[in-house]
Amino acid sequence: MGEELVLEARRVTKVYRAAAIETVALADVDLVVERGEFSALSGPSGSGKTTLLNLLGTLDTPTRGRVLVAGRDVTEMSDAQRSDLRLHELGFVFQSYNLVPVLTALENVEFVLLLQRAPRSERRARALRCLEELGLGELVEKRPNEMSGGQQQRVAVARAIASEPQIVLADEPTANLDSKTAEDLLDLMERLNRERGVTFLFSTHDPRVMARARRVIRLVDGRIASDERRSQ
Amino acid sequence: MGTLARIAWRNLLRGWRRSAVVLCSVSVGLFASLTLVAWAHGLLAQIVQTAVATRLSLLAVHAQGYQADPDVGRSLGDGGRALAVLLERFPGAQASPRALGDGLAQSARQSAHVTLVGVIPEAERRVSVVGDSLVAGDFPLPTPSGVSRALPGALLGSELAEQLRVGVGEKIVLHAPGESGLGAFRVSGLFHSASPDFDKSTVFLRLEDAQRLLGVGDRVHEIAVALDDARAQDRLAEFAKEQLPRARPGEALEILTWQEREPRLASLLDLMSSTAWVAYATVFAGMAFGIANALLMSVFERIREFGVLRSLGLQARQLIQLVLFESLILTVGGAALGVGLGVAVVEVLGHFGVSGDAFAGAGTLSVGPRVYPRLESGDWISPFALALVTAAIAAVWPAVKAARLRPAEAVRHI
Repeated sequence: MGEELVLEARRVTKVYRAAAIETVALADVDLVVERGEFSALSGPSGSGKTTLLNLLGTLDTPTRGRVLVAGRDVTEMSDAQRSDLRLHELGFVFQSYNLVPVLTALENVEFVLLLQRAPRSERRARALRCLEELGLGELVEKRPNEMSGGQQQRVAVARAIASEPQIVLADEPTANLDSKTAEDLLDLMERLNRERGVTFLFSTHDPRVMARARRVIRLVDGRIASDERRSQ
Repeated sequence: MGTLARIAWRNLLRGWRRSAVVLCSVSVGLFASLTLVAWAHGLLAQIVQTAVATRLSLLAVHAQGYQADPDVGRSLGDGGRALAVLLERFPGAQASPRALGDGLAQSARQSAHVTLVGVIPEAERRVSVVGDSLVAGDFPLPTPSGVSRALPGALLGSELAEQLRVGVGEKIVLHAPGESGLGAFRVSGLFHSASPDFDKSTVFLRLEDAQRLLGVGDRVHEIAVALDDARAQDRLAEFAKEQLPRARPGEALEILTWQEREPRLASLLDLMSSTAWVAYATVFAGMAFGIANALLMSVFERIREFGVLRSLGLQARQLIQLVLFESLILTVGGAALGVGLGVAVVEVLGHFGVSGDAFAGAGTLSVGPRVYPRLESGDWISPFALALVTAAIAAVWPAVKAARLRPAEAVRHI
């Protein structure tokens, strides 16, 4: 386990307000994720997993507390700065794959590199390399509606790692996949973690993911109930 | 930029039915307004052309005050000859002296109020359209000398002849105010111009006959000037205003272009260009709501997609660009289609013309038998400028809506 901190949550609280009702989704959460981790946030529905993942992924801002990505405090950042941070430091994998439907697999992966202003030849080569590494060489010209769920999720992983982010945040990545496809996907992500040192943080209640994770952080009612590290 | 444009294009293809409806509405709107503007241009050009070729002329020289009070006493000496000769020194200019006066035409059956126009037929043929509008006979010939019972000739508008129930060779009596204002004439010819109003009220006589009838001696009331190239009109006016007073220092002259004589008609031309803009603006304003609605629907359908793009690092301003691209493709594409179709249709209509019968007898604003729709360069360039503005305006609301989506919520939107 490395010692470089990739993500930090310092006494993070998130309160949602709807009309006169306040809902505390997270309460004074402290959490650090180090480089190279393969960790899972678990807990029952409504425990705050997704909220915490959103805050760590700078998709949302905390009501109180601070979030640091690669040592940079994002709490006071502008929307444009947070977008830039997501572009360069963070990768995302979503439950519903969420590929851009009008782009091919190759273009989906290339898109992030394009936003990073990588030269055309370089981004094409990198995108192709990622897809081939994930066994998707045959699908480069396919659009999402021409691929299975498992294939789409693998393309989503390729997209997430193509920009070589500090960490990949995966929200319920196996929820829509059958057992075999889910196991294959987890194998893939484990391999990327092991061989390329890609840091993963999952939000999940899938026991298969938790079984593979080397660290499981359990949330209950917006608080960290346990933080278990395993050696493999 | 390129990928955003590609995404925009593919998004439009993805919802091709909606895109097609918006594209068609833009192109049909543009086509309709362009055709309307071309029709109005053609109509107005025809009105001006008819007016200038019949009762007006590109330039007219009168005695001072004649325009405001066309009294037969306000006349030019020397039969206008010296002035006409001088005017014809301007390249492409032809001048025709005219003696003018109100009168009454009477046949055995009917009478009618008329305008008497005394002309030198050879000169008048080069200035007005009457010589080309003859349907029977010709301008009157000089009265043979020594034939005591020979009557001088008169050329009548066909509608006037119909009203008086006379034909070529028949006799009419013309009355003019004054002591010598009565004479018998024989109809030498009939003309049918594009202006029913003109045809109903005009009698052409030989200049000397009209001068005798009106009792003005050797004097004339107007020198009408035509040009081979009407675009040189302003230079002709400058030339005339500079040269004529020098040539006739004793005569106070009034030199007027047709626009100065008929400012209302001239202002119609100016109105035309602003009317074109109003037509375009109205069409585009209506379309802007349609486009905004289509884009807004499209934005609402893609909230999750936008959330994903934002989570990948797409800036809010880039998302605005994306929506703007979609709006631009729809609007400019539709405008190009509409303008292309409009220009093609106007080209065909402009070649063959459209019947102007609906405007026959429309009073002083007479139209020829056919109207030839035409477009001027600005007519089809301006819609593109407006298309760009419309695209931008229509995209503002949906684009801002998209940019303001919170990524965390958008990415889980169902």
